[in-house]
Amino acid sequence: MPPQIFRLVILTAGVVGSYGIARMLMVPPTFGEHGSYRGAALEELAAAKPVFSGIKACDECHSEVLEELVKFEHKTISCESCHGPSRKHAADPDVTTPKGKFADSDCLRCHQSSPSRPVWLKQVDPNEHYRGDKRCSACHLPHQPNEKP
Amino acid sequence: MRHVVSRRQLLGALGGALGWILSRPLAHAAKEAVQKVLASSKAPKRYDPSAHKWLMCIDVERCIGCGLCVDACKTENHVPEAASYFRTWIERYIIKKPAPGGTDVRGEVLVDSPNGGRKGFPPSLVPREEILRSFFVPKLCNLCAHSPCSQACPVGATFDSPDGAVLVDPTYCIGCGFCIQACPYGCRFMSPVTKTAEKCSLCYHRITRGLKPACVEVCPGQARIFGDVKNPVENDPIQEFIRQNRVFTLKPHLGTEPRVLYANIDKEVR
Repeated sequence: MPPQIFRLVILTAGVVGSYGIARMLMVPPTFGEHGSYRGAALEELAAAKPVFSGIKACDECHSEVLEELVKFEHKTISCESCHGPSRKHAADPDVTTPKGKFADSDCLRCHQSSPSRPVWLKQVDPNEHYRGDKRCSACHLPHQPNEKP
Repeated sequence: MRHVVSRRQLLGALGGALGWILSRPLAHAAKEAVQKVLASSKAPKRYDPSAHKWLMCIDVERCIGCGLCVDACKTENHVPEAASYFRTWIERYIIKKPAPGGTDVRGEVLVDSPNGGRKGFPPSLVPREEILRSFFVPKLCNLCAHSPCSQACPVGATFDSPDGAVLVDPTYCIGCGFCIQACPYGCRFMSPVTKTAEKCSLCYHRITRGLKPACVEVCPGQARIFGDVKNPVENDPIQEFIRQNRVFTLKPHLGTEPRVLYANIDKEVR
């Protein structure tokens, strides 16, 4: 073999070899596990902690409230829709208490009349609907909206 | 005085530099391995992404525009507070009455989304008499089967997970913003905190634990139906929804094949 060809072979082997070593070291270990991305990213994204506990967690202690709730119009609403995120409360009930006091604005967030809202939804214009300065809760129970208090 | 570098010093310095360069990827690989162990110990166990295929259905007729989903999404995913960052948001469509004397059936279309609808919607400036039809449309990542964002990403940081979620690997994202331009649904933004692209992850940390995404959990009108097409349950809500409704996708002409299906949408919705 002529010496210049021999040198070229050595050089090519060196370049290709160092590329191979660099690639081996720099490509993340889980790259290509599911596709051309880092497979470990799935686990890392899944590792974040939830903030909302989900209605099943509420049902573990407050099942009697939920059994009542499903008999009335608000049956489709999850606890945390109104009471707020409750994972901390579900993990340790003594640490935090979910929101328990509500203003009329909380009811009107859904029930304020609007031409954009679907017709199946019960809507009110508070200026016409109120008699005097009564609050929503004076006539309506949030968990049993069909019943009078 | 001239500073003289001896051959020994120069070779030593070069050797040190070479060693430093070579040790970097080694240290990086070691860090990756350690991170992988740490992350997997925190992540939910027994979740196999290839055993699921998630799907979201949205019934526009059930959306009341309360904005609880937008608020819950921001809280759950620690989305930046500013009014330009949303993983899900609600649009209010107002179709005005056509001008009298004309041949149009439907008039001008106005779309707004004040603060993404997070605190509900203030009364529209359009008087009630001028409105022909109005409704709310919840928007989120359309979970495209052929996602333009994943194709645009130059580093493989955005990808289609085997379970149907389109996710961003924040440690790999270089913040170039190509995916934000590529998304035809405007579902992505550049996070001012991490300087990486962010989007709806279908609450990946929730669905892998058997919980619903936060927006689905709090929706009072059941406008959002979420399920797993690979593991249908008894009276499966997804199958029931598709049986009862005529479902559409947004911008079907783009061939992205979204897995967010909309029912009861008007032709004006884009």
